[in-house]
Amino acid sequence: MKWVEELRRLLRKVRQEEPTECAPGGIPCEEATARTFEWLDGELDPEMEERVGRHLETCARCYPMLVFERSFREAVARIARDEKAPDELKDRIMESLKEEGYSSPGASRE
Amino acid sequence: MSTPTIRDRSFEEEALPLMDAVYRFALRLSKSPDRAQDLTQDTFLRAYQNWEKYTPGTQAKSWLFTICRNLFLRREERKKRHDEIVTDVADKDPRQISREATVFMAVRDRDPEGEFWRQVVDDEVLAAIDELPAEFREAVVLSDLEDMSYQEISEIMEVPVGTVKSRLFRGRRILQKQLYEYAAEQGIVPTRASGDATGVGGESE
Repeated sequence: MKWVEELRRLLRKVRQEEPTECAPGGIPCEEATARTFEWLDGELDPEMEERVGRHLETCARCYPMLVFERSFREAVARIARDEKAPDELKDRIMESLKEEGYSSPGASRE
Repeated sequence: MSTPTIRDRSFEEEALPLMDAVYRFALRLSKSPDRAQDLTQDTFLRAYQNWEKYTPGTQAKSWLFTICRNLFLRREERKKRHDEIVTDVADKDPRQISREATVFMAVRDRDPEGEFWRQVVDDEVLAAIDELPAEFREAVVLSDLEDMSYQEISEIMEVPVGTVKSRLFRGRRILQKQLYEYAAEQGIVPTRASGDATGVGGESE
C-alpha cells in the first residue's frame, strides 16, 4: 500500500527533524545546561529533576560538563568541613551567655 | 548556679552546635578573624536574648545567619543594602549565564573531568571565595559551604529566589575562573599553546 509507505517516510522525516530524538529527557541541551546547577543543588521539582537528570547522565555532549561541574562543587564543599571556631571563642561565648543568665543544661547533668 | 530552663535546654540543643557554622559564615562575610569572632559572639548573645522569637525545630541555622548578617551589615553601615542588587546580574536568566564562555569550555579538551579542581589547595579556594564581590560571596558560601536551599538563602539575603540563583550561578562562574587561572599559573592544568588562561570571560559564545 503506497500511502502507508508514504506515511512511514514522512514520519521518518519528522523524527529526524524533531529535536527530542537527540534530546534525552525530552529537553534540549541548552535547557539541560542552564539547569545543571539547579539539578546539582537538588532545587528542581521532581518531574524536571528526573528529565534533567536523564538528559545530563545520558547525553554525550552534556555528561562531561556535568562531571566537571560536580567536581568543582565537591572541591568547594570540602573546605567547609575543616573550618572550626577557635576554642577560646567558644569559651568566651559561653561566658557571655552565662552573664545573660544562661545555665548550661549539659553542665547540670554532669 | 540557676536551674536550666526549657529555654536554655532548647538553646543548647539547637543553637550552640552551630558555633562553627556561624563563625565560618562570619569569617567569609567580614574576611577578618577578629571581626568574625566578634560577630559570632554577638550573634549568639543576640540569639539568646531573643530566643523566645525563634520557633523550636525550625531552621536555627538560617535564623542565626540572618542575625549574623544583619549585625555585619549594620557595622558596615551599608544602609542601602536592599538596593544594592547588581542589576545586570539580578535580572539575568540562568539560561543566559549558562551560554557564556565557561571554564569547562576552555579546558574540556585537556581536563574534561575537572581533575584540577581536586588539586587546587583549600586555602586558594578560600582566598578566591573571599575575593568574590559580597553579593556573590554570600550566595556561594550559603549554598556551597553551608548547603542551604535557595529559599533559605533568599530569606537570609532578603532577595527573591531568582536573584539568589543569578548571584549563585554568576558567583560560581567567577570562582571557577579565578581558580582556573590559579591552576594554570601553578601548572596544575596545562594552558593551550596560545596561553589562554584569560580566555574565559563574560563574552557569549
